[in-house]
Amino acid sequence: MEDAHNFKVAVVTPAGKVFDYGKATLVVLHTVSGETGVMANHNPFVSALRISEVKVKNDDEDYQELLAVNGGFVEFTNNQLTIVADAAEKAADIDVNRAETARQRAERRLKEAHDKREQDRAQAALLRAVNRIHAATGR
Amino acid sequence: MTASLQGIQRRISSTQSTRQITNAMKMVSTAKLAKIQRSGDGYRVYASYLQNVVAHLAKAHLGDVSGTLLETRAAKKIGYLVVTSDRGLVGGYNSTLIKAVMADIQQRQLSKDQLVILAVGGNGADFFKKRGFNVAYEYRGVSDVPDFNEVRGIVKMVTTMYDNEVFDELEVAYQHFVSRISNEVRVVKMLPVTTDDLEAKEENPDTVPPEYDFEPSPEDVLEVVLPQYAQSLIYGSILDAKTAEHAASVTSMSAASDNAEEVINKLRLEFNRARQSAITTEITEITGGMAALED
Repeated sequence: MEDAHNFKVAVVTPAGKVFDYGKATLVVLHTVSGETGVMANHNPFVSALRISEVKVKNDDEDYQELLAVNGGFVEFTNNQLTIVADAAEKAADIDVNRAETARQRAERRLKEAHDKREQDRAQAALLRAVNRIHAATGR
Repeated sequence: MTASLQGIQRRISSTQSTRQITNAMKMVSTAKLAKIQRSGDGYRVYASYLQNVVAHLAKAHLGDVSGTLLETRAAKKIGYLVVTSDRGLVGGYNSTLIKAVMADIQQRQLSKDQLVILAVGGNGADFFKKRGFNVAYEYRGVSDVPDFNEVRGIVKMVTTMYDNEVFDELEVAYQHFVSRISNEVRVVKMLPVTTDDLEAKEENPDTVPPEYDFEPSPEDVLEVVLPQYAQSLIYGSILDAKTAEHAASVTSMSAASDNAEEVINKLRLEFNRARQSAITTEITEITGGMAALED
């Protein structure tokens, strides 16, 4: 336990585990308080996530995976990092065209929004779409 | 007893085709049940993580809860989310649920203007509308194996209505799937969120939970986790209800097939009897005729 350099990472959504990796050395998260990196043997913590990207890395094996996460939160205990979100996708699985149409739709709605609530919803949808596009293409 | 042979034959073949249909429907529902049970497994993993964290928060978070989903408001209006099926052929699935909801309403002595009905599924929507209840939301056509994306619309609408104080308390009524042959009606209060049952569960000695640091603060985490938790609860109950619906459909269709089988057997017996008596009559007539010739 004390000489563990890597830790497990899982991403759990209502559809089940969408991502499972046994040997991450570094995970970069965007929490509500800012960007943080998590390495093995971190203290147990729970933190809320932004609608953002999560980067999972293992430098020894030159492994890197990018995920788009729709908010949610992250939990870390016993060298097991679990991201619990209502939606998450691996960057490679994202349908960029669909995300692009979602972005345009959200932008249109944002312009046409009549009240605060509609505006908030459109804003959230836009954030999600932009996040997915960014994760998939780097744009 | 002396029905015509042709008539009985016709009834047998029509019952046979009915049985074929109910049998096919049973098979379809069995397949759907298996599918939804598989997708339910994924959800349970997700829900257990959420529960765990909410339970921890409930312990850590002792500060001000006003403005969050934990806050209890004076219950002026009560929302009932009633999850029924769109179609029939599911036995007593809908009627027992609706009966239980009505009993609950009566027991709490709520009048119609204190109630807000949110109906998922056509059966419940029609029932409450016909009786002049305030049906504030109606959703039909939940797919056979609903995924979170589909239900998200329903769940968001429900939580938004709660935020806007359309109602101050939410009861979710649904059929809980117990086993392939039995369901159980549940009426559960889901909003405001209560953490009482969670804390009770946590006293299990075999799941000694670790202590967490909440970053940046328990309040901030709570703000994200609580709505997610409430949404997952509602999604879970819809998923559960749908599972129960498929199970109820399997049971009622298999009962219908068995019934058809029984009817067919009875008709066969009747048919054979009628045929036998027809033959007997014919023989009597022939021998009678022969006897007349011999004389």
